[in-house]
Amino acid sequence: MAKIGEFELLVLLAVLRQSDAPYANRVRAYLEANAGRTVTRGALYRTLDRLTSKGLIEWELEPSETPERGGHPMRRLIVTDEGRDAARESRDVLLTFFEGLGPVLDG
Amino acid sequence: MRDQRPPDLAYRLLRRALAEDPAGPSILGDLHEDFVRMAERSGPARARAWYWKEALVLAVGRMARLGGAPNGNAGGRPGRGSRSRLGLRGILADTRAGLRSLRRNPGFVAFATLIIGVGIGASTAVFSVMRPLMLAPLPFESPRELVWVANNQEGTSLSHVTSRSSNLRDFRELSESFAGLTGFNAFFGQSIYTLVGDAEAEQLIGVDVAHDFLSVLGVRPLHGRDFTVAEGLWAGPPAVILGHGFWVRRFAGDPTIVGSAITLNGVPRDVVGVLPATFDFSSVFAPSVNVDFLLPFAVSDETDRTGNTWSMIGRLRPGATPASAQRDLDRIIDGLSAEDPDRWGLGAVVTPLQEQIAAPFRAGMLLLAAAAGTVMLIVCANLSNMLLARGPKRRREVAVRRALGATRGRLVRQLMIESLFLSVAGALVGYFIASSVTDVVANTSGLTIPLLRSVTVDAQALAFCAALALVTGVAIGVVPALQVSDGQEASAMSSGGSRSRGGRGSSRLRETLVVAEIALACVLLVFGGLFLRSFRAVLSVELGYDPENAVAWQLNPSVPFDNPNEMIAYFDQVADRVAAVSGVESAGLIDALPLGRNRTWGMRVVGMEEPPDGDYPDLFPHMIDTGYLETMGIPLLAGRAFNRDDARGSDPVVMINASAARELFGGADPIGHEISTGGSSNDWRIIGVVGDVRHQALEMGAGIQVYFPIRQIWGFNTLDLVVRSRVPVGSITGPVASVLRELDPGMPTQESWTLVSTVERASSSRKFVLTLLGTFAATALLLAALGIYGVLSYTVTERVPEIGIRMALGATSADVLRRVVGRTLLLATVGAAIGVVVSILGSGVIASLLFGVEPTDPLTFVGMIAMLLAVAAVSGLFPAIRASRTDSVTALKV
Repeated sequence: MAKIGEFELLVLLAVLRQSDAPYANRVRAYLEANAGRTVTRGALYRTLDRLTSKGLIEWELEPSETPERGGHPMRRLIVTDEGRDAARESRDVLLTFFEGLGPVLDG
Repeated sequence: MRDQRPPDLAYRLLRRALAEDPAGPSILGDLHEDFVRMAERSGPARARAWYWKEALVLAVGRMARLGGAPNGNAGGRPGRGSRSRLGLRGILADTRAGLRSLRRNPGFVAFATLIIGVGIGASTAVFSVMRPLMLAPLPFESPRELVWVANNQEGTSLSHVTSRSSNLRDFRELSESFAGLTGFNAFFGQSIYTLVGDAEAEQLIGVDVAHDFLSVLGVRPLHGRDFTVAEGLWAGPPAVILGHGFWVRRFAGDPTIVGSAITLNGVPRDVVGVLPATFDFSSVFAPSVNVDFLLPFAVSDETDRTGNTWSMIGRLRPGATPASAQRDLDRIIDGLSAEDPDRWGLGAVVTPLQEQIAAPFRAGMLLLAAAAGTVMLIVCANLSNMLLARGPKRRREVAVRRALGATRGRLVRQLMIESLFLSVAGALVGYFIASSVTDVVANTSGLTIPLLRSVTVDAQALAFCAALALVTGVAIGVVPALQVSDGQEASAMSSGGSRSRGGRGSSRLRETLVVAEIALACVLLVFGGLFLRSFRAVLSVELGYDPENAVAWQLNPSVPFDNPNEMIAYFDQVADRVAAVSGVESAGLIDALPLGRNRTWGMRVVGMEEPPDGDYPDLFPHMIDTGYLETMGIPLLAGRAFNRDDARGSDPVVMINASAARELFGGADPIGHEISTGGSSNDWRIIGVVGDVRHQALEMGAGIQVYFPIRQIWGFNTLDLVVRSRVPVGSITGPVASVLRELDPGMPTQESWTLVSTVERASSSRKFVLTLLGTFAATALLLAALGIYGVLSYTVTERVPEIGIRMALGATSADVLRRVVGRTLLLATVGAAIGVVVSILGSGVIASLLFGVEPTDPLTFVGMIAMLLAVAAVSGLFPAIRASRTDSVTALKV
């Protein structure tokens, strides 16, 4: 967990889930629908920048000719091996911490 | 929908902000995609608004981040060179740094915002009040071409500045300077109208105008048409043009009223037009009167006989100037006088219309502007001072930033941004202050200043406010900013702590600013004091009558009288029946009550030598009944008063006032002498002398007043009824009005006024100026006191070690107290001395605005200086007490 914050983890996982179309708008829509919070555009882009600078994701621009995007390219997001490692580590840490807490949490 | 494009400007802004972000193009695409979806779902307008919001948030966020703190770690972005530091990003970064620094001092920010708000609010309010009258063009077409043609500017009564019909006729015919020459009857207030209809009879005011009045001013009716030439002839077809306000109020803005007839004073008149809302006759020409409609007034021999009646307005031909028009009219007048040497009342003085309308208020307005400007200067001095006082604390921060590589330019810029932020925040406060003030002003009725009703904080005032904020920001920030970054950081770093020396130069600068504040405040206080004394002098003038417990109605009988006897019988009945109402002490009638309308007639004393140049004195005629003098409380000084036997058929008699007795007869007894006057063909025998009455204005003497009995002269259109009450006037207005309605059900009776209110209105402009000036002076005093307090507090804090040493060496608390208070009084005395000199130099400018007090009135000067010194001493006392409680041991430890 040391390497990655909670929101960063959520973004990372959301990118992983959008493997068929891993683009920022999709990621944001998924987060808004499932994380139970509003995700501003600025927050998402900042987080993507941070994940990039930590080497957890990479991206490349894909040309897009669709009129919906006004001819602007799309950014295909790719989770790096380090990104997968970080996600896994976080999962393990979380699971260790949750282990045995069922009765306490769920009453 | 697919080709829906986002707002171009927002798009370009965002693209620019993202220019150095490698992912930028995809972000633009993401936003575009959501925009298209949004447009399909909620429509293009909402989508565009949404796009603007998103683009702005993203752009600002991006720019702030890129230009921001050095710990921003978004790696790999190119182009973060030092050059961009001085660009937009640098400014954003400096803004954030400035805001951070301000956030640490919320008290200072609140105080600074508030006083800048007061300064800018006052200035903007005064600007808004002045603008329509003095700065903005009059609300007519090509207003610069319009001129006022007065008869002669020397007299004070309306009869002196107005002109005869024959003058207007001849000037129109002979002059080559005017594209149009027109006018209105300046005595329109003498006739009031009653509209008969389904509602209760209503008293209305109409202005008689030449048929081309509107076309010369360039005003086109909103509905219908202008008067025709035929309607402008004597006994032409009766027509009326309704004022916009009256049309909306009485006819619910129904355009079909044009073409129908309304009955005014028994005469059916065709409504030929409705004036546009933008043309408000009263607001320009007759403030404090509500004009309901325009009627045609003939330029004819019939109207010529009534003498000087026209207020003449001309539109200059292209190429003509007021001076050339003046020469032209002078030439015409010379010719006409040569042709007919007996012709009287011939004269012309041409002034630009705007000047004519603004002239009586120019001095007062300029004074207020100067006062507001002074308050603004004090605000600036005060804030500069506070920023200077913060200087030493800032020095350390600045030194650290310098050491880390910030240039001097950047530091100055950050400090300037801080002061600009303060001034802009202050401007917002000021805007609300100005809006509230102008709201109050525009809705104050009874002020006799033209165009006040249109006073608002409009776009120009807003621009003024913004410009002022900018100038203020620079003014308050520049000296402290330069001082803080003057390159002495090394010493700041080494001396450590916030108490590093501000430097002798800085403290002298701050004291100089305080002296300037005190001097400015002193000027405002002295002028405010002079105005207060003038106002009190005006309120305490001997009116010559008793305004308390008296209430008046303007009587406008609904039926015309066939002969004078019928009329006299009617008014006798009114006076008798009203006097019999319970609570009424007495009732009287006059053609015009004091401080209302006035006119003059030429006169001479029968049997006295004619004045050498035919320059007869003017008299103010008053037509009264037998109950008037008693009801008003005007004393009979000699002879007898009128009685009901002074009627038609008996000897024509008059009473004169004490001034007339003195001026016309010197020490001799006037009783029994006869006078003749331009207003009547009779000679009139003087039977009594009564006290002087201030009837033109509170500030003006009585002049020659002559009272005629209404039974012997028919020189009035309406009469005012005045009723003196034994009980509070409020309780008799109802019963008196119902008696009037019983006598004449068609006469409007809702509008009554107390004589006290007339006196108040006569002093309203003065009160208006006094209130504003007083507020400014009080604000100035408060700010100056805060300035003194601030500077001394700081000096005391700064000198704690020194004071500690003094006390350790044997100085007592009292010594310390004396030293600090002494310093305060020294500053205050120097400031007051400068202020006194400036006030004396400026007193000539305000002399014309004063009444009953000399502009160098010693009492006012001494009083105001004493107040200033007392306030200064008190504001210096708190820091002084703090200094005197200094504990030498702690002080020396620091």
